Amino acid sequence: MMLFYKAWLESRTRFLLGLLALTGLSAVFVFFNNDVRTIVTEHEVGYVEYIWKGIFKGHLRDVYVVVTLLMGLGGLDRERSYGTAACTLALPVSRWRLIAARGITGMIETAVLAFLPASMVPALSPFIGESYPWSLALQFGTLWTIGGILIFTIGFLASVIFVGEYSAAIAALVILFGYTMTTDLPGMEHHIIDVHDVMNGSGPHDATTLAAILLTAAVTIWSAGYITSRKDY
Amino acid sequence: MLDYVIETHDLCKQFGNVHAVSGLNMRVVRNQVTGFLGRNGAGKSTTIKMLLGMTHPTSGSGQLLGRSITDPKQDLEARRQVAYCGEDKQLYAYMTVKQLIEFTASFYPDWRSEVAASLLDRFQLPRGRKVKALSKGMRTKLALLLALARRPSLLILDEPTEGLDPVAIEELLQTLSGLPADGTTVFFSSHQISEVERIADRVCIIDRGRLAVDLSLDEIRQDHRRITLSFPKQPPHHLFDLPEIRSIETNGRQMIVVSSHGADAVVERAKSADAIVLDIAPINLRELFLGTVQDHK
Repeated sequence: MMLFYKAWLESRTRFLLGLLALTGLSAVFVFFNNDVRTIVTEHEVGYVEYIWKGIFKGHLRDVYVVVTLLMGLGGLDRERSYGTAACTLALPVSRWRLIAARGITGMIETAVLAFLPASMVPALSPFIGESYPWSLALQFGTLWTIGGILIFTIGFLASVIFVGEYSAAIAALVILFGYTMTTDLPGMEHHIIDVHDVMNGSGPHDATTLAAILLTAAVTIWSAGYITSRKDY
Repeated sequence: MLDYVIETHDLCKQFGNVHAVSGLNMRVVRNQVTGFLGRNGAGKSTTIKMLLGMTHPTSGSGQLLGRSITDPKQDLEARRQVAYCGEDKQLYAYMTVKQLIEFTASFYPDWRSEVAASLLDRFQLPRGRKVKALSKGMRTKLALLLALARRPSLLILDEPTEGLDPVAIEELLQTLSGLPADGTTVFFSSHQISEVERIADRVCIIDRGRLAVDLSLDEIRQDHRRITLSFPKQPPHHLFDLPEIRSIETNGRQMIVVSSHGADAVVERAKSADAIVLDIAPINLRELFLGTVQDHK
């Protein structure tokens, strides 16, 4: 249990900054919807569509993606640069358990961040005389969680492969950018799942697709564990 | 029969083309203080990391408290009874002293809270202070507290006195020297030969990844001799081609020979070459160390 506590202490600053950003921006999108609406779309759209374009498909989703990617960074290689890797490795726990604790903690944080806008939008909308269906918002929360977990694992794997705090962050961003560019190529939708489209509901989001995303995330975490278990520190 | 807490057999570690440890055969006796000496890059830290499962050996094997260091499950079992204090003395900077104690205690069923509490008072460590706000000396004391409160069978320290002030060094050495009486074997690497000489029962010297010396301090004092000789002409090196000769230093017609088995054989051979024996003296650990790593026979 204390490994989860350690993982939380190590990630809490990034998590709380993400939480602050997503909370603040969600509130801005709801309370200042008349002003923000012109930035989000040039056309006259209803409140539900505006929220979709601004939050669940738009800028806030991009913020969430970057935050989850950064949440994945850390681990033993980062500890090595701080000089604490030896403390951790001398504990009577396997490296797989260290990886599991950090992975599970990060995934829970990713889910919490995903459900933040999904719960704030329907909760705050009545204050401005609008309404947003809870069922729809929670559906987006679920899709964000699943997509977010995959993106989290990209950062997670990068931080195991690339030594150095900045190298891992840059590598993770490059991988994400490369993936996004690839999925945007014409015809690629038949070959690669675009997790961004899954998150905003415009892509396939049936049970098989979501299971495939989670399976990919699990394999990525397992790969990170395998690399870690064989590494010299 | 001696009981060993650490045993290595032909242990090797290679980083690319660099042989950090090459064929290390070493044994550390239980309930003693063993100093682990060597030059920078001799392989001390790599050896310790291999023993603790942080680095995987390229070849060879080893046992820590009777458990294989190459089997992750056995190594993990061994780590339950081993405490380690690293060279840079870095601990989790974001935790407070109290948080770090609670965190560490959760991994050790034999954790002795009363020992932790008493050491907290003795070391005057502030419970609520973040680790990042502690001095290096205080971090060392905290690391020692975390190590001792778990009742370890073996305490491994990598350069424990590095960066500490004289008072902190004194306190640390006093603590370490008393541990074998409580059933904790101490194995520590150091560059400070005087400290090793002061508290160690035994010393292992590693040179270029191999064990060059494994002796008790008593054996060094009783058996090792430095013999200073003067020759009528250029002294012949081959004259002292004996297994007990540790080092030979020649300066003109004068020669200093360090022998591990008294002076008799050396003196006898020297006299056969018309040499005059100028001095026979016991050697200290510094001389043995320098003789071993500077002029490896």
